[in-house]
Amino acid sequence: MSSSGSKLRAKRLAEVNASATADGQVTHLETVAFGPSLAVERFRFGNGLELLFCEDHSAPVIAYHTWFRVGSRHEREGKTGLAHLFEHLMFNEVEGRKAGEFDRKLEEAGAESNASTWLDFTQYNISIPKDQLPLVVKLESERMSRLVLREPQVKSEKEVVANERRYRVDDDVEGAVSELLWATAFDKHAYRWPTIGWMKDIEGFTTEDCLEFYRTYYAPNNAVLVVVGDVAELALLKRLSAAYGALPPSTLPLEDVQPEPPQNAERRLEVSKPTSTEKLVVGYHSPAMGDFDHPALSLLAEVLFGGRASRLHQKLVRELELATEVRAFVGPFRDPGLFEIFASAREGKNAEQLLAVMDAEFEKIQAEPITAEEIARASARLELSLLAGLETVDGKASTLGFYETVLGRPGAAFERLETTRRVTASDLVRVARRYLLPRFRSVILVRPDAAASNAEAAQ
Amino acid sequence: MSAGATVIRLADAGGATVLLETSRALPLVTISVGLKTGALLDPPGKEGTTRLLSRLMRRTGGGLDANVIDTRIDSLGASLGADVAHSTLAFQATVIARSLDAFVDLLVDVLARPGLAQAELERLQRETLAELTDSLDDDRSLARRFFRRRFFGAHPYGRSVSGTSKSVPEITHGDVESVFKRNFVRENLVFAFSGDIDAEGASKIAERISLALPSGVAPSDDTPEPTAVPGRRLVIVDKPERTQTQILIGCLGSHTRDEDHVALLVANTIFGGTFTARMTQEVRSKRGWSYGAYSNVPFDRRRQTFTMWTFPKADDAGACLRLELDMLHAFREQGVTKHELAWAKRYLVRSHAFAIDTAAKRVGLELDQALYDLPSDYYSRYTARVQAVTLEEANAAVQRRLSDRDLLVTVVGTESTIGGAVRDAIDGLASAEVVPFDRVD
Repeated sequence: MSSSGSKLRAKRLAEVNASATADGQVTHLETVAFGPSLAVERFRFGNGLELLFCEDHSAPVIAYHTWFRVGSRHEREGKTGLAHLFEHLMFNEVEGRKAGEFDRKLEEAGAESNASTWLDFTQYNISIPKDQLPLVVKLESERMSRLVLREPQVKSEKEVVANERRYRVDDDVEGAVSELLWATAFDKHAYRWPTIGWMKDIEGFTTEDCLEFYRTYYAPNNAVLVVVGDVAELALLKRLSAAYGALPPSTLPLEDVQPEPPQNAERRLEVSKPTSTEKLVVGYHSPAMGDFDHPALSLLAEVLFGGRASRLHQKLVRELELATEVRAFVGPFRDPGLFEIFASAREGKNAEQLLAVMDAEFEKIQAEPITAEEIARASARLELSLLAGLETVDGKASTLGFYETVLGRPGAAFERLETTRRVTASDLVRVARRYLLPRFRSVILVRPDAAASNAEAAQ
Repeated sequence: MSAGATVIRLADAGGATVLLETSRALPLVTISVGLKTGALLDPPGKEGTTRLLSRLMRRTGGGLDANVIDTRIDSLGASLGADVAHSTLAFQATVIARSLDAFVDLLVDVLARPGLAQAELERLQRETLAELTDSLDDDRSLARRFFRRRFFGAHPYGRSVSGTSKSVPEITHGDVESVFKRNFVRENLVFAFSGDIDAEGASKIAERISLALPSGVAPSDDTPEPTAVPGRRLVIVDKPERTQTQILIGCLGSHTRDEDHVALLVANTIFGGTFTARMTQEVRSKRGWSYGAYSNVPFDRRRQTFTMWTFPKADDAGACLRLELDMLHAFREQGVTKHELAWAKRYLVRSHAFAIDTAAKRVGLELDQALYDLPSDYYSRYTARVQAVTLEEANAAVQRRLSDRDLLVTVVGTESTIGGAVRDAIDGLASAEVVPFDRVD
C-alpha cells in the first residue's frame, strides 16, 4: 500500500477505534496478495477476533464466513461428533430470539446459509445481498456468545444428526468404508474417528456436553471472520467493532494432541456390504498440508488419479476394464492424514486385481521419472480447479477461510500453485518412494454381501 | 433479459443465437453449446442413445483417440463435458484464457467432426453398463429413477436418459450416427459465452462451429403433455439392510406457460422450498425424523412433477409418510397464509441475487430460456412476477395444480422392515407394488 493509502487506513482505524470498547479496538496486521488481482486485508480486534477482508465489487453481494478453529480433532473418545452436533445447534435459539428465527430472518433477507465441520475446523457461511449486511453481523455476533441450549432442541437435533449419519455412512457403502479406513489407519491421533461421530456417542450427548463445548471453543479469539464482497472497509469495520466488541475472549485449552506413531506393516481388512460390485479402499499415511512434501504428493495424486487421462484411470478403466471408476486425494489437514484411494470394480472383477495394478503402477513411478508433459498437465488441472472455485464471493471466502484455518496463510492457495509449478520429476520420485509403500498403508476390500448377491441372482 | 447479456445472431451460420457476457474478473472462458433436443429423441427401445452419442463425440473428435483428446484437454487447463436431459443437450466447457485458441480447435472437432469409432462405442457401452450397476449403490438415485419410471409410465418423460441395462447393449453404431445427423445442424444450436472473451471472439468461435456443421431442419419436440394416473399408488423398492428409507411423493406439477406457474413456485417455497419451510419445520425441526425435507417444482418443455423428498430412519418411515400426506392435504385445503406469502416473496426476490451473481450464471439462465422455449421475459420479469402474486392466486394454484388423490409414493428401503408401515400410512391406497432394487429397468 502507498503511504497515502496507509494514512487513509490509519485515519479509518482511528475513526473506528474512537468509539470502540477495548475488545472492539481494531488493528491492521497485513495485506496479503490473493492471486494476481485481489488483496486481502487482515485485521485483529481487541478480543482476538481476526478478520480477513477482500473488497470485491463484481456483484452486489457479500460472503460472510465465520471459521472456528475447532473440529473433530478436538474431541475425545466417547464424545465423538460433538463439534458437528454443535454446528447443527448453532442454528437454534439465541437469547431474545426464539428457535428457528435465525434461519427465518436470513432467508427473508435472501441469504444463502450453510455450515460444515471437518477434522480441523467448523465454518459457518452466509451469502447475502449487500444491503443485508447489518442483519448478518447482528445475527452472527449474537450466536457467538448468546446461544441458548435446551433439552428438547438438543434431543431433536441428535435425531437429525443420527439420520444424517444413516444417510452419509450407514446406508452408503463408500461413506461406511472410508470411516473404517481411517479407524484402521490411525491408532492414537484424533483423526481416527469420523467427524460425524460414532452413533453411540451421538445418542449419548447431553445438553451439558454441548454447553461445555460452546463455552470452551466458541469465543472471538478462536474465530476468523472472512468477508468478501461489495462493502467498503470503513463501514464494515465500524459495524464489526460495535457488534463483536462486546464479546470477551476466553482461555482456550491446551490441545491434547496425540501424534500418530509410525505404521510399520500393512493393515488389511475384508468386509461385506450391500453393494453390487467389489470395492477397494486404500489409505497411505501422508504428510500434513503444511509439509514441504504435500504439494508434490498432491501433484502425484493428480498424475495418477486425476481425470480420464491419468495413469490409473487409463489402466484400470480403459485399458484393462477392471474398474468403473478410480479416484484419490491427499488429505488437506493440519496434521498428517491419508492419501486415500477409492476404486469400484466391474462385475466379475475383484478388489485384489485392482490393487495389483495399482501396486505395479506405484513401483513404476518409484523407478522411472514421470514425464514433463504429465507434470505440466496435472499442474494445469490444479490451476483450472483453483480458478473455477473463485468465481463467486462465496468461493473466494471459502478458499481464504480454509487456507487460513489449516495453514495460517489465507493466500496460500496461490502460493501452492506456484510451488506446484516448480515440482520436478525428482520430487515426485522422492514422495512416491517416501509415502507410497505397502507398510504405510491400510487396505479395505469390500465384497458384495449375500443379500445383495441373492438379489442379483434373482435378476 | 436478466442481466443485459449481448445477443448476437449469426446470419451466415443458420441464424444460430450467440449469448455473451464478458467478465475480466478471472482468466477463464466458459463456453456452452446447447441443442434444443435431448434424450426424448432416442430411438424406441434404445434409451441412452443421445447420452452415449455425446460421450462418444467427446472421445472421438476429429477422429482422434480418446486418450489423445483427454490428454490435450487437461494439458490446456480445460474441462469439457455434456449435460443430456430429456429435452436438451449442452456441451459445457471451461478453459484458461491463454489456451482458448487451441481448445477451440479441439471443440470444433468434437462437435462437428466426431469420428464415432465403433470400437470406442463398444467400450463406452461396457463402461455405461458398469456405471449403471454402480448406481444401484445410491438409494437416492434409485428412488428418483423408480419414481420417474412409474410416474410417467409409457410417456417419454418416463424414459431413462442414461439408458438401462437392456437398452444400452441394443444401441448400434447406426443409431448413434443417425441421432448425430438429426440433431447437429446449424439451426439447432444456441451458443453461450462468458468470462474473458469479447463479442468478436465469441462470434468467431460460434461461426467456426456452425459452419463446420450442415444446415438442416432442427427437430421438433412433439412430446405430448403427460397425464396423471388416477389413485394413490405405492412402489416399494426393496433393498436389503437399509437403516433408512428414501421417500418420494409426487403428482403432476407445473408448466412454465401456466398463468399460475409463478404463483405455484411461490407457494412451493412456503411448503418445502427452503430450510425454514413447512416441511423442514415439521419433519426435521420438530421431530428430527429426516436430515432433509424438501419439495420441488422443476420445469421442462412439458408439464413436470411436484415432488416431496424425505429420508427418515426405517422405524419412522410410516409415521413420516403419513405426516407428509397430511401436510399435502392441508396445503391444498387451507393454502398458505398472508404472512407466509409476504415472507416467501421477500426470500425469492432477494435471493435472486445469487442466481445472477456471476457472468456465467447470468448467461446460463438465458441459455436455459432459449433451450427450453421459456417465455422471453421469464427471467427478466421473474422478480416482478413473484412480487405480484396474491394470496388468492397462490392458493388457487395449489388447489388447481397439485393433487393429494392422484399421486405416486416411491420408497427405497427394506420391505420386510417398512412394508407394513408405509402401506398403512396411505389412506385409500389404490395399488402397491414391491420391486427388487436391481430391477430398475
